[in-house]
Amino acid sequence: MEYLYGIVIIVGLYVILATSFNLIIGYGGLVSIAHPVFFALGAYTSAILSRDFHVPVLLAMLAGFFVALVASIALALPSLRVSGDYLLIASIGFQLGVLELIKNVRFTGGPGGFTNIPPFLIREFGRESYVLLVLAVVAAVIVLVWWIARSDYGRAMSAMRDDELAFASVGRDAMWMKIAIFGLGSGLAGLAGGLYAHYFRFITPEQFEILQSSAILTMVVVGGMRTTWGPVVGALLLQALPQAISFLQLPPSVLGPIQGLLFTGLVLVFMFFRPQGLVSAKNVWRAAPAAKARGAR
Amino acid sequence: MADVLEVRNLSKSFDGIVVARNVDLALQSGRVLGLIGPNGAGKTSLFNLICGVVRPDAGTVLLDGAPLDGKKFHQRVRGGLSRTWQHTRLFPSLPVIDNLLIGTHDYPGAQLVNVLFGTARLKAHDKVARDKALGLLGKMGLAGVADDLVSDLPYGQQKLVGVARALMGDAKCLLLDEPMAGVEGQAYAAMQRVVREVAESGVAVCVVEHNIAFVHDLCDEGVFMFSGAIMARGSVAELTRDPQLTELYFGH
Repeated sequence: MEYLYGIVIIVGLYVILATSFNLIIGYGGLVSIAHPVFFALGAYTSAILSRDFHVPVLLAMLAGFFVALVASIALALPSLRVSGDYLLIASIGFQLGVLELIKNVRFTGGPGGFTNIPPFLIREFGRESYVLLVLAVVAAVIVLVWWIARSDYGRAMSAMRDDELAFASVGRDAMWMKIAIFGLGSGLAGLAGGLYAHYFRFITPEQFEILQSSAILTMVVVGGMRTTWGPVVGALLLQALPQAISFLQLPPSVLGPIQGLLFTGLVLVFMFFRPQGLVSAKNVWRAAPAAKARGAR
Repeated sequence: MADVLEVRNLSKSFDGIVVARNVDLALQSGRVLGLIGPNGAGKTSLFNLICGVVRPDAGTVLLDGAPLDGKKFHQRVRGGLSRTWQHTRLFPSLPVIDNLLIGTHDYPGAQLVNVLFGTARLKAHDKVARDKALGLLGKMGLAGVADDLVSDLPYGQQKLVGVARALMGDAKCLLLDEPMAGVEGQAYAAMQRVVREVAESGVAVCVVEHNIAFVHDLCDEGVFMFSGAIMARGSVAELTRDPQLTELYFGH
């Protein structure tokens, strides 16, 4: 059972990562590869605060959310002032740089990882309670992104993606909207980090490397960008895949690169043959009720 | 009559090509000014300079007497400046009504915090905005297509939607970039009527247009631009009769 719980939690956390990344890349149209680093920032913040500063775990997890949120705004603010392309470039530097930093400072445990992270709920209420907590957060994140996408904010995001100059010409500010989207999406990744840390109780920098960026991107692209269920399907599928490969009993030195190739290959295949992903989004903003009733495409 | 928009000594050149040469221009409340001249005269560039899409090399733009220097496009729009585009630039993923709803002066839905915690406020705003949008669409004869996708409309109607969208934000000054290009039939009459009404409500309007008949019928006054400079200002009839300007317009 413990093995199964572990898998449910991992898949759940990837659903959070993919759904929040869908907000950034799908709805916001922002290209970044730094999503795993916000996951890491949340995990490390929560782990360090709870173990070394005795902050209650729940508060530490929330702090992880806010640290990821603030860090993402610090990254987005200068780069988005220039243009969206700079966010991608800056995110690469940020992803690599922050992980190097984590490896090279003492209070993170360095390359060996951070151990003995305080557990949460499990001692008092059993592992099931933690699984329920994760599933509850997963549901909340899915509902949150769905709610935003179909709200007045979703209408504005749709307009912004259509034409930024026209968006400015109706008095709307694309830059702050992008920063808000990036901040919230990255904060949610940080929250997932905290949830990871207090269950598995051990984190290392290499868990958050660039392979994770391609994994999360693949989940969103293969699952279907700008849909509620696309990232969920993508996360399930792409978590099942490595599990399936592991039955082949390949040595770990081969397994990592094979996963990377698989993710990249999948993205390429989907871009050519099914660019809309498994779950396809309509070209129309979804919340428009009348357009939906008319069956407009 | 007070100047709503004042352009003072505006100059701009791109790699030696002058698009604005010491341009002075004033738009008054309730009046429609026609901006005419051949292609490449700098008419659309002047709009871009006024809106802050392009930064001038020299000169300044004042809205209600306050300089707009350093203000971004969207801030100028919030301040009361509004424009349309030669090639509509609508939001193709949104139905007609939503293209308008996004253009209200205050759009509380643009703040995430309102989306999460201010549902009542959003609903109240939506109701007011929807009434306004439907009113505008009704005036343009577009009430029946409010829920259609903009990209499904004929081009002439899309142009009208563009004007309607520009009117959602309580503009004091409206810049129309070739509103009649590609517009015919019923949309033509609707465009005439609506722009006139807008001007009568006290908005200062400036129209860039090649359709001289439209300019003639609609505009109180005309300005002739050539090579980034204002060559003449006067009644549209005077400008179109001037043999020198006619030669500049049509070339040799």
